Amino acid sequence: MEEEKSFRVSTPDSTIQGGGGVTGTIDLRRRDPSSAVDLTDRVHLLPCSIKHDGPCPVSHYFKPKKTDVVVDGSSVEEAYFRGRKLQGITVPLPEGYRGYVLENKKSRKGKGLETSEGEGEFGRWVSRAEFRNLTYWNHDIVPSSDDPLVRSFHWFSVADAVSDTARTSLRLFRVWLGITLDCWFLILIILTRMFKKVMFLSLRV
Amino acid sequence: MGSAPLPKWASKPCIMGIDEAGRGPVLGPMVYGCLYCARSYQKTLATLNFADSKTLKEEKREELFENLKADSSLGWEVDVIDPRELSAKMLKREKINLNEISHNSAIGLVRRVLNMGVLLTEVYVDTVGDAEKYRIKLSERFPGVKFVVAKKADSLYPVVSGASIVAKVTRDRALHGWMLDETAENMHRNFGSGYPGDPETKAWLDHHKHPVFGFPTLVRFSWGTCTPYFKDVVYPT
Repeated sequence: MEEEKSFRVSTPDSTIQGGGGVTGTIDLRRRDPSSAVDLTDRVHLLPCSIKHDGPCPVSHYFKPKKTDVVVDGSSVEEAYFRGRKLQGITVPLPEGYRGYVLENKKSRKGKGLETSEGEGEFGRWVSRAEFRNLTYWNHDIVPSSDDPLVRSFHWFSVADAVSDTARTSLRLFRVWLGITLDCWFLILIILTRMFKKVMFLSLRV
Repeated sequence: MGSAPLPKWASKPCIMGIDEAGRGPVLGPMVYGCLYCARSYQKTLATLNFADSKTLKEEKREELFENLKADSSLGWEVDVIDPRELSAKMLKREKINLNEISHNSAIGLVRRVLNMGVLLTEVYVDTVGDAEKYRIKLSERFPGVKFVVAKKADSLYPVVSGASIVAKVTRDRALHGWMLDETAENMHRNFGSGYPGDPETKAWLDHHKHPVFGFPTLVRFSWGTCTPYFKDVVYPT
């Protein structure tokens, strides 16, 4: 069961100068296990931007159909949106990842948690639905493994490998640094001792 | 589709007329129809009184179409172009315009009839775009056939008038029997003639518009008629 996670989020139109942003929490727990909404096979990424946020009778208007074309083992699907013919393919989310549909339950300022900087807006996102795959759609371009979404999913495993290597490298570096510093301290101590001896001898003389 | 085993007269020199229906409307399919017969049957064809299909009442056209179908000396074919195909082609990244779609449909019909084994020697068509360019385009593809491209061909040549009936009735029937893909509530099929100027069609568009989806796919999204209805909700990325 996922717990609540706190994080800091920048809203899309916050400027870097103002240091604007929103602090908040994301609650990924299912509200009620029996009513958990599973949107697997029902999430579509369109090749356009839609200025509408809210409920929409998608299944009444958007009617994908499978074609005979197969790419990388999956059937290419066909659908029409605003007159344009789209071709899409369903891809699973990368191993170890899951998709969430979050709802922003905006609360009034504070709620007991004062933020130290910025506007003090506190956001609380809760998970309303989950999905394990999504269907992305191209206009006039047959889906392929060169598509940006597919390539970005490949990045996850690359990033994991890189961070593993980085973590190991960092560890090794720390060890090396430790040894090196210890050596320097040792040398310093020896030098100081030698210096004291020399001073003592010179005073003697 | 009007084809049975090839009739005997099809092996004699034949003529064909091609015409379209539903080019102007903002909704529904566009239909290309053709009618062909032996050249020797031309005189009889002229007596069948097709006239200009647009001036005829729908019931009269239906009657004429049934007569055509029953006439064993005539053959006919149609190409019903779905409105989704029209929108999709006209809205492609590399747009295919309506004239080109029309040309390709006519070419398809000629090819279909030739492939059936009919000995086509002359084809009469209505002008789409530049008449001479169209004629050359057609002649290049079918070297053995003589093409006559003329304005108002349906009033000049009985084969074209006949083809006009075939196209018009096919389109009317397709529209009457159209099953909307969309399953939203409160949708109805009283779309009138489908022409942008028809008040019933305008009312239908008003009733069926949607901020995200635009319209049902019966509508030709590439038509200028639709633009005022789209309120900048969707942007390409």
